[in-house]
Formats: sequence, structure tokens, C-alpha cells
Amino acid sequence: MLNLPRWQTLVIAGITLLSVLFALPNLLPASVLQHLPQWYATSRINLGLDLRGGAHFLLEADLRSVLNERLTNLSDSVRAELRKQQVPFKDVTVESGRALVVSLRDEANRTKAIDAIRAFDPTLAVSGTGDTIRLAYSEQELTRRKKEVIDQSIEILRRRVDETGTLEPTITRQGDERILLQVPGIKDTTDLKRKINQTAKLTFHLVNEDIAATGQNIPQTVPPTTFLVPTREGMLELRRTNPKAWEDIQTANPRLSPEQICRRYQPQCLPVLKRVVVGGEDLDDSKATFEQQQGGRPIISFTFNSAGGRAFCAATRANIGKRLAIQLDGEIISAPVVQSAICGGSGIITGSFTTQQTQEQSLLLRSGALPATLTIIQESTVGADLGADAIQAGTVAALVGTALVAIFMFVAYGPVFGGFANLAMLVNLLMVFAGMSILGASLTLPGIAGLVLTVGMAVDSNVLIYERVREEKALGRSAFSSLATGYERAMSAIIDANLTTLIAGVLLFGFGSGPIRGFATTLSLGLLTSMFSSTIFTRMLLAVWVRWRRPTELVI
Amino acid sequence: MWKPVHVFAFKRKFDFLGQRRTALILSTLINIISIVAVFAVGLNFGIDFKGGIAIQAKAKDGTAELDQLRTTVGALGVGEVALQEFGDPSTVLIRVQRQEGDAQCVAGAQRVMQKRAGPGWLVKPGASGTGDVEFTSPTPLDAANWRDAVSRAGLTLQERQLPRGSTNTARIDMSIEQRAEWCQQVAIKQVEDVIGANYEMRGTESVGPKIGDELMRSGIWAVIATMFAIAAYVWIRFEWQFAVGALIAMLHDVISTIGIFVLFQLDFSLTALAAVLTIAGYSINDTVVVFDRVRENMRRYKKMSMVDLLNQSINETLSRTLMTSATVFVAVAALVLFGGPVLQSFSVAMLWGVIVGTYSSVWVACAGLVYLGLRSDSLRPADDKADKADETEKAGA
Repeated sequence: MLNLPRWQTLVIAGITLLSVLFALPNLLPASVLQHLPQWYATSRINLGLDLRGGAHFLLEADLRSVLNERLTNLSDSVRAELRKQQVPFKDVTVESGRALVVSLRDEANRTKAIDAIRAFDPTLAVSGTGDTIRLAYSEQELTRRKKEVIDQSIEILRRRVDETGTLEPTITRQGDERILLQVPGIKDTTDLKRKINQTAKLTFHLVNEDIAATGQNIPQTVPPTTFLVPTREGMLELRRTNPKAWEDIQTANPRLSPEQICRRYQPQCLPVLKRVVVGGEDLDDSKATFEQQQGGRPIISFTFNSAGGRAFCAATRANIGKRLAIQLDGEIISAPVVQSAICGGSGIITGSFTTQQTQEQSLLLRSGALPATLTIIQESTVGADLGADAIQAGTVAALVGTALVAIFMFVAYGPVFGGFANLAMLVNLLMVFAGMSILGASLTLPGIAGLVLTVGMAVDSNVLIYERVREEKALGRSAFSSLATGYERAMSAIIDANLTTLIAGVLLFGFGSGPIRGFATTLSLGLLTSMFSSTIFTRMLLAVWVRWRRPTELVI
Repeated sequence: MWKPVHVFAFKRKFDFLGQRRTALILSTLINIISIVAVFAVGLNFGIDFKGGIAIQAKAKDGTAELDQLRTTVGALGVGEVALQEFGDPSTVLIRVQRQEGDAQCVAGAQRVMQKRAGPGWLVKPGASGTGDVEFTSPTPLDAANWRDAVSRAGLTLQERQLPRGSTNTARIDMSIEQRAEWCQQVAIKQVEDVIGANYEMRGTESVGPKIGDELMRSGIWAVIATMFAIAAYVWIRFEWQFAVGALIAMLHDVISTIGIFVLFQLDFSLTALAAVLTIAGYSINDTVVVFDRVRENMRRYKKMSMVDLLNQSINETLSRTLMTSATVFVAVAALVLFGGPVLQSFSVAMLWGVIVGTYSSVWVACAGLVYLGLRSDSLRPADDKADKADETEKAGA
């Protein structure tokens, strides 16, 4: 038991040394760190927002509206398709957030109608009887769509919030429909909140020139492949001439689709093909600049990614002489005539913009459209000096706690055994630091509390061992034998005791968020590493000590 | 060099389980009182669970005038306001109840706009049954300026909600729930406006109405799951009676800890819940140490009466039970004394947890074994075999 082979001693010492090495960047003063290689000096533990100062938001995505919007779009398509297939129907309605209900005039057409609808979206589950068909997203499909929306939102938030790349935000998914956004070091959150809550949906569509050629602004019918979209000029004009109508459009709930606006209020509109040539998601970059000629109007220039570039190139080559409409948030900003194939992967948007508008729009285009509205349901801001106070309180508590435990162990088990336990406790602290640096975990104020707790709990293993050694010694065993059996017999209680606390730590990690996770991390990590430091590491120390001192009687 | 001091070495053997009836009554009483207190007096829930606003402010001139603050903030019409000194006399923690998003809040938003954007601003609620809010500006504004203006009231506007061209009014449509969430921001800004001249805002926290209930539910589940997971572990390692004993001990510790939260009206926040979970996990440590010895003695003394065997096991492990608790106790004491106001309720609860955990391992878990009818011969065959191997090994040593 205490006759460790040399290789084992070396491995244990090696692990200990490695931990010290990984933990050191957290402990060395800045003056020393600057002389060390950068990769080493910067591999330190992140401080949580409560210690570092910063803002923390819990955002909830309005997934219901997103699904409603999709179902509304779908209902338009279904209507058109049923007409095309000459299936008479009474109505197509959207059942909030879940399903589409089609009521047919004739039950006999049921199968035909279902086939026509499923051709659009095969993921819909069909139910209902007789002349009503209910088309709902399956539970699985709903989950998939929700996940998609959240993932997309996270990606877009990241780009928006950290445009400059200096804020180091942490953005993570929380549950089904929430996003946790943490931005260290900022105190004024007004700007940030504004960036969070904007949508920007850009699409390019070809103008249906056949319909446009008829000269009617609002044709009676348009083919199902085409829809009407108001132009920005048209909307501005409507607002001037008919403020009441404009007001109604703004306040309509549910929101009117572009086609509905055209039909009801008849602003200047353009018939465009529904098929999206290129969407905002294929934009690589966009900038606010000024036109070279024509008095230098503010314009937005953009570049496509390769897929977008190819699609744009193909579409422009095939449609020279036709107009390409640029739709932003339900309005056509401009519809320039395609002069030649545009294959360079970039282009410009002109329109009646102010400089400020081009700047904002280009930022939004750069970051893409948010698929859902985000509401802040939890927010906290911590000033930097509050964080500094917390760090100080935490550090003092940790130092005092460690010192008290160390004194206690020295008194109870003497300089040798107390010393070994205390050395193990320090190694344990270093291992926790090292583990957190490697895992990239954040240290929070509750995390420091967890650290202090593990200091007290780590020496418990040594207490169990030493008490058992005392017992074995009292039974009349030799020094060597009491030590060996003491270690062996204490192990099962040590493992049981640590594992039960670890169960609590792991469940807490699963349940908690933010600072509480920090607590669960240091506690669990500390318990795990203490199983090494308090047993394996001290056993190595003892083995070396026994070989060196060859004690005949134990002073314990 | 000094000699080790055997801190908890007692010459005398104690008849712990002789007192088991007294302990049973005491424990039952403590638990009943705790449960009754939770319902009769109630926990002092932190905003994590209750929803609401917490603002930490520091007086610029050194001392926070609590009475004066109470009057100023109370006059805002933001509902219930609670103040407490936080850490030192210059710092105050202002807690405001969670906002409901009613007309009061819209009126508050108007005050904020008038203070921050200009005296001519008006804010009115929109159509009833919706959460809409209508802003009126003294001068016509274009889209970008609108966004700027309303962001001063903590409201973020979506691109599609912005008025086109320049207008005097803008209606922002929100659902009732969305408005309630926004109203938390409005309340924070109102408090900022009235105390900002004399106080520095050190940190703010707001929890909307939705989160609290969810956290509460998942928190309760986490505690239950932890206790059963630990009991399951004990069951795997020991006989079923041990698992039940451990479970009862954990329940006892958790319930009485919650009782302590009621008694001292400690802030019951997420950190407090972390303390409860940790206590469930840690208080079992001492129990497991005693159980380990009980099992060992059961193999050795098959004829001994259970009460005597338990008493002997407890006495044999007494010094380590007390020593392990003492090390954690001093560490937690450091947290209580120096950890600062944020960790206060966590540390106090932990301190109690360490004490009650030690008590329960003897008088709840072990006494429970007696009541559960554990007998010296109820070891599983597998556990009994381990005994033989143990004996052979001992003979060889």
C-alpha cells in the first residue's frame, strides 16, 4: 500500500506539477505575466459578470408570432393552390400558433385538397373530418422549428451585439425559447437593447413584367406565383394623402401582409414574383457609402457570399432588361432595371435614404434578420466597482477560511500529518484553478463560496484517513501497518461521502444558471480533484516520508 | 514541534440512542414548526423567485437616508418598496415589487419621458385589451429619432413598428405580457430619476413575472431529485433501511434549513436554493461515515443488539464526525464573517446545515435504522461476503 512503485510516484508528481503550471497564470502578478509567452499568460479563469461587472439579459423569443406568420403565408399559398386545382372552399383560417383549418364546400374533394396542400409542406399532420381539414405541425416539427429560430437568433444577436468584436458577449440557449445574453464590462444598456430588438428582412425578387405591362397599379387577379408589394414611395405618398389609412396599417393586428395592404389601401405597388432570387441571409457584407455620380446620394453597397453571388449572377443574366425589386421589411425600396449580368458578387441599393438610414440599414443587413421578436424577461447590470467589492469580499473570505482550516488541521494532527493534509488542500485549490482554466469556466461570487466550501470538505477525506489510522494504531498495529490499513479502510467512506455531495453539485449545475452554475462548478470540480489530492497525493507524500524517516511510532 | 491535540477524543461512551425518543420528538417538532412557519409566516423570497426589481445604490455623500428614500421611491406609484442597508451604511438595496404593466406604469413612462426627453412628451395606453402604448412628441420626429426617443424610456422599437416619415405620435403595439415585461424597465428608470442626484446606481436586477414561477417549480424538482438520487446511491451501497434512513435525515435537514430561512427572514434566492441542495448533499456525508461503520460492525458482531451496535458505531466514529463538520464549519464561518452581503443568507444557511447535518446523522438517520427494524442479520449476502474477504485480509496484515 505504501510501497509505491517509482513510476506511480512520478505520475502523481507529474499531475500535481501540471496543475500548478495551469493554475499559475491566475496567481502571478501582472508584472511577471508580461514576461511570459502570451498563450500561457492569457489562459486564465474568466470572471463571471457578478465579479467583473456587465449586463445580463434573458430574452424570450416570440415563437407564436413566428409560427403564425408562417401559417399565414402558408394559408395564402394553400388558397391559391386550391383555386388553381379548382377545389371550391369556404375558408382557410389560421388556428393560433398551431394549425391551418381548411373548410371545403364539397366533402368529395377532400383527398384532392389534401394532396394539393401536402405538396407545399409535407411536414403537416392532417386531421379533421368531413369538409374540414386541419393541418397542424407535429410536436416534433414544432420543436425543430423552434430550435431553428432560436439558433438563428443567437447567431444574429452575436453579429449585432459584437459588431466591433471587442465586447466578448456570451450568448447561449436556455431551454426551448430563451436566449441568455451576457455582455461583460458595459453599464449603459440602452444602445445594446436597441440593437437586440430590430428585424431587417431583405429579399430580392424579379418584377412580373407581364402583369406590370398591363399598366394597372392593382390588377384584379395576379397569378399564384406573384404577389403585390407596396413601394416605399407609394407608402410615403399614402401617408401624405390618407393619414388615417396609413395609421390603420401601422396598428393592424394581426399585421397586414404587403398584398393585403395593396388591395385594401391601393398605394403604389409592384407585382413581383414570390420566388426569392437572393435573400438577406446570403449577404456577406454591406456598407453605407455614397454614389459616385449624381450628387453623391447615400447608398448601401453589399457583397454576396458565393451561393448568393451565383444565384444573383444567374438571375440577372437570364433577365436582362427586366426589373429586380429589392424588398426590405415588406416594402420595395427600389426596382432597378437589370442592365447586364451582375456576376461580381456585389451590388448597391439606391433609394431615398438619409445618411443615417443607410448606416443603420447596412448594419442590420450585415447582421441579418432576426426571425423572432425578443422580449427581455430578466435583466441585471452590475457596475464594475460592485464587482470589485465582491472580488475583495470573496478573496478575504477564501483566505481566512483556508487559514482557519489549515490551523485547525495543524492543531489536530500535528505538523507532519496536518502539514500533509494542508499541502493537499493547497494542491486541491490549484487543481480547481487549473481545471477551471482548462474548461474555460467562469468564476462567480457563489463560485468563490463553493471554493471555500471545498477547502473545508477536501480535508474531510484526510480526517477520515487519520482517524482510522489512530484507531488502527490503538489496536496495536505497527506504524507502517496502521498507515496502510488506515488508508485502505477509509476509502469506501471517502468515496461515498464525496459522491453524495457530487450528486447534489451535478444536479445543481443542471438546474441553475449564471452565478449558481459557477457555484456548482467549483463545488463539483473541487470534490473531484480532492479525491486525488486528499488520498492519492497524500499517500505519495506519506510513502516518501515513510521511506525517508522510517518511523517506529506515529505521532498522530 | 508540537504534538497533535485529540480535539474530539472522548473517554466516555455515550448512549446516543437511549435519547432517541427525545430526539424523535424534538426533530418532529422542529420540522412541524418549520412547515407551519413556511405557510403561516412565509419565506422572504428574493426577486429571483418573486419577480421584481432590485437596485443597489450607494450614497454619494456617505450615508444612505433610508427613511427619506422610502418616501421618495414610495411616492412613485411603483407598488410595494422595501429598503435595507446592504453591507455598509452608505449602500442600500432597494427592492420594488414586480410591475404589472397597468396604467400606473404608463403614467410612470410619461414621467420618465418628460424628465429624459423633454417636458412636452405624453404617453398614453392604447386600446384596452391590448398592451399598446401611444407616445406623443412635442415636435415631429422621423424614424431614427423616434427610436432614440423611446429608447430613453427603456423601450426598444422594431423596424416595422417605426413610423414612416416624420410624425408627432407613434403607437407601439405590444401584447399585455410584453408591456408587463417592459414596465420593469420603466420602474427602474423612475427610481433612477428620483434618486440619481444623490445616489450612484451600482447594479440593477429585474426579473419579469414569467420567470419566477418557473424557477420555483424547477427548484423544488431539483431538491426532490437530489434527495432521491442520493438515497438511490445509498441504497445501491447499503441495505434499503439505510437508504430510507438517509432520505429521512435529508428531508429533516432540508425542511429545518427552510425553517431557518423563515425564522431569520433570510433572503430566499437562487443562492439560498443552492445552499439547500448543498446541505442535502453534504449533511449525508456524516451519515454515510456512520453507516459505513455500522455495516462493518454488523459483519463483526452478529449477535449484538441493534441499539448497542449503533451506539458503538456512533461512538467509534464520533471524533471523525465532529472533526469533518468542524473543518467545514470554520470555512463557512469565514464566509459568514467576510463573504459580503450577497453571500450572507447562503453562508448562514450553510452554517446551520453543517450543524443540523451532524445532529441528524446520529439522531435521525441512525435512530431511523432502529425504527425501520434493521437487525444485525439483515445484511445482503453480497455485503456479508465482503466481510469474509475483509477478515482474511486482516489476518494476513
